Amino acid sequence: MIASLSAEWLKIRSVRSTYVVLAVVALAVVIGALFVWQGMAVFDGLPPERRENFRVIPMEEYMLPMVQLALGVLGVLAITSEYAHGTVRSSLVAVPARGTLLAAKAAAVAAVALAAGQAAVFATFLVTRALVGDRPIPDHGAPVAQQAPQLLLLGLSVAVFAMVGLAFGVATRSTAGAIVSVVALLFVIPAGITYLPAPWGTRLSAVMLPNLPDQIAGALGWRSEEVVVGPWARVPVLSPVWAAVALAAYIVVPLAAAAVLFRRRDA
Amino acid sequence: MIEVRDLVKRYGSTVAVDGLSFQVRPGQVTGFLGPNGAGKSTTMRVVLGLDAPTSGEALIGGRRYAATRRPLHQVGALLDASAVHPGRSAYDHLLALARTNGIGPRRVAALVELVGLAGVARKRAGTFSLGMKQRLGIAAALLGDPAVLMLDEPVNGLDPEGVRWIRELMRSLAAEGRTVLLSSHLMSEMALTADHLVIIGRGRLIADGPLRDLVPDGGSLEDAYLRLTAGSVEHGAGR
Ligand SMILES: Nc1ncnc2c1ncn2[C@@H]1O[C@H](COP(=O)(O)OP(=O)(O)OP(=O)(O)O)[C@@H](O)[C@H]1O
Ligand SMILES: [Mg+2]
Repeated sequence: MIASLSAEWLKIRSVRSTYVVLAVVALAVVIGALFVWQGMAVFDGLPPERRENFRVIPMEEYMLPMVQLALGVLGVLAITSEYAHGTVRSSLVAVPARGTLLAAKAAAVAAVALAAGQAAVFATFLVTRALVGDRPIPDHGAPVAQQAPQLLLLGLSVAVFAMVGLAFGVATRSTAGAIVSVVALLFVIPAGITYLPAPWGTRLSAVMLPNLPDQIAGALGWRSEEVVVGPWARVPVLSPVWAAVALAAYIVVPLAAAAVLFRRRDA
Repeated sequence: MIEVRDLVKRYGSTVAVDGLSFQVRPGQVTGFLGPNGAGKSTTMRVVLGLDAPTSGEALIGGRRYAATRRPLHQVGALLDASAVHPGRSAYDHLLALARTNGIGPRRVAALVELVGLAGVARKRAGTFSLGMKQRLGIAAALLGDPAVLMLDEPVNGLDPEGVRWIRELMRSLAAEGRTVLLSSHLMSEMALTADHLVIIGRGRLIADGPLRDLVPDGGSLEDAYLRLTAGSVEHGAGR
């Protein structure tokens, strides 16, 4: 397993697409900072009585889908690029134990995604806090030490998307098909449930992957009262424990299904 | 030793391999011949555990390939030379495979040297010519210094120097007592390389015997092959 893991790690860091994904993550941090910088310029120009109603979405939340999508694509490519170029066969000749190969891939992808996710979330948080300074902006007051559990959960969700991407890649064996599936999970389904009759939109929104970290974080979680569906919906319906169970299911169920398919099918 | 027993492999309604049995013995080069679509590559994939047989079995050294730990030390295979990530360097491609079986970077460097890719090992494999990719594939097959080698059309795209090199390499590996199974459509080359031939058509065994028994004195392997496979050509040119 260690041998396979070091090979998968080498595969990830020896292709350009990995660095493109990481550049997109860095770009998300920069864009988040620019939004806040712009927002602060507006805030400073407002008369004091209007400053009270001034709101800024926490950028680590707002930019998160971009990071989740980027690492979801990394997970997809980890396996679909092997199918596209035919290297999955040489990989399986070297490691015939398919479960081991898939586990090694998952571990390597998860490590990169977790590191990138945490780096993006914490960098965005710290940079935007520095830009906000001591201005009295709601949702931008808690110090990093207090907010850390919630931030860690946001970073973790990035790794979950990467695992889902990997699983979709195994299932579809197609880069395009798997990326479309990740986009559907991240944007299309959360937005589509808008059209369901109440209260189903809100209920289903609660179990959408983007909504889970803040429900697990409980009181520390961000609430977007105006947005009840979509990738930025933060509706606290589930208790932290049930939200954690749901998040675990997003890791276990797709990967387990992928493992079954990967073992069963001809390469 | 490679043993294929009563092997059947179906893909939907296509019968790729249809009750095939043969053995590949150590100490000689065995040529694996047959028309396009005869089932040679499919047989190799089943032997390597990549495709599951519909029925029958394929064993290497008496075991299923999939049950082997660190198999590169026992079996080396080249299935498709173009199967490389175009953006990854030749060296990284080999090193990733090597690492899975606990093979170190020194062995990788030695093989890069052996197959004549030392000057371009750090270049992206996507920039390689067909012959360079074949050399890379052969390096991958030799990584673990295996006792069994299985190469699917390794001569395709090689220059004359490379063709002779492969021939001498295969012959010397067989002379060391290794098992070598080699598929090719180049009859004149096969006549120079192989000691033994397994010829299949439409997934069935047509001939299995020493080269000198299959080719009459003074005749060519090409004539003998065309005669033997005349009834089994599925994808012949219109005439
Ligand atoms: N994955 C697959 N799915 C469906 N059919 C397949 C698959 N692989 C092979 N076949 C079919 O099985 C038959 C045997 O193919 P195979 O590639 O084994 O032949 P081959 O002897 O290697 O031919 P060639 O000399 O052209 O390389 C062909 O009819 C082919 O279309
Ligand atoms: Mg073939």
